Amino acid sequence: MAIYNLSTILNTYGDAYLILEFNHLFISSSIREEVWLLQRKDDDAMVKALMREAEEFDIHDASGDKDFDTYSGGQKAILGCLLMIAVIRNRKIHDLKLLLNHVLDSLSEDNQKKLFAKFEAIRSAHNIRLFTDKKDTIQEIR
Amino acid sequence: MELKKGKYRLEERGLNFSLSDDLNFNNKKSCFYFRGGNGFGKTSFLEKIIIPGFKNANAQYIYIGQDMRTQLYTLRALLSVQGFKVANNDEMELLRLWINNSRSATVFILDEFDKYFPDHGFIFDWSDSFIQTYIFVTHLGGSRPDAVAQKFKTSNVKFELIGFDGHLKNVQIGKE
Repeated sequence: MAIYNLSTILNTYGDAYLILEFNHLFISSSIREEVWLLQRKDDDAMVKALMREAEEFDIHDASGDKDFDTYSGGQKAILGCLLMIAVIRNRKIHDLKLLLNHVLDSLSEDNQKKLFAKFEAIRSAHNIRLFTDKKDTIQEIR
Repeated sequence: MELKKGKYRLEERGLNFSLSDDLNFNNKKSCFYFRGGNGFGKTSFLEKIIIPGFKNANAQYIYIGQDMRTQLYTLRALLSVQGFKVANNDEMELLRLWINNSRSATVFILDEFDKYFPDHGFIFDWSDSFIQTYIFVTHLGGSRPDAVAQKFKTSNVKFELIGFDGHLKNVQIGKE
């Protein structure tokens, strides 16, 4: 899988999958800004809910306005996943294929399990299928 | 360079490390694997304590950071300035060129490199003629490829969260 030239992954999977890529998790500098962009409004309730969920991953110093650069790589990956799940839930998005690229390998085993439990909670209700990168291809996580 | 056991505090990163074993990076042909939970300070420990230690000791090192995307852009520019034609090189070729031109280094540090390249034996193939010490940060279960198993003495170093001191995380670092 390419790291900085994403044309291959986008050409192959971009049409059919929502891709969360470790090196391109966010386009702004804080959770509050990301929420604002995705929800097209300031959504303090979502930000607070995300902070509570982050605590479950031992990210105790998270805040809506904290700069992403001050989190570790794995913490950023967790926040990116939690944000995606929150938006899927909030906007009642269904029938989606999610592709996590270089994301899961950034997480400790414990945090991977917690994250899978979060995905499991939306999987059936929203008909979400989860995939991850596997060498030069992808693999569904069931 | 040797890090003595003791306390290492990084107030600005909210981390308070307690190193329970000496870490001796002077041993020839050694390979360290840093493991531990997310946010326990593995990268901070590397960047704020270990790398400055190598600098102070005038040890040459190669560092491939966790955010490889930015680094690869920089690498392409650096190699171009040095006269290499790299406009069409892929990331493997960029890395190979860079490593091959870094033969004064004796230390190689890779932060979660194996998530991009699980079969990272090529790193050893390209560098073990001049590198004495490897440091890997990893979340993956495996360690070095079997082909180099006999060449390098491995030390697994674990980062564990043992509590909080106000806003500071107390993290114990020790050999397994």
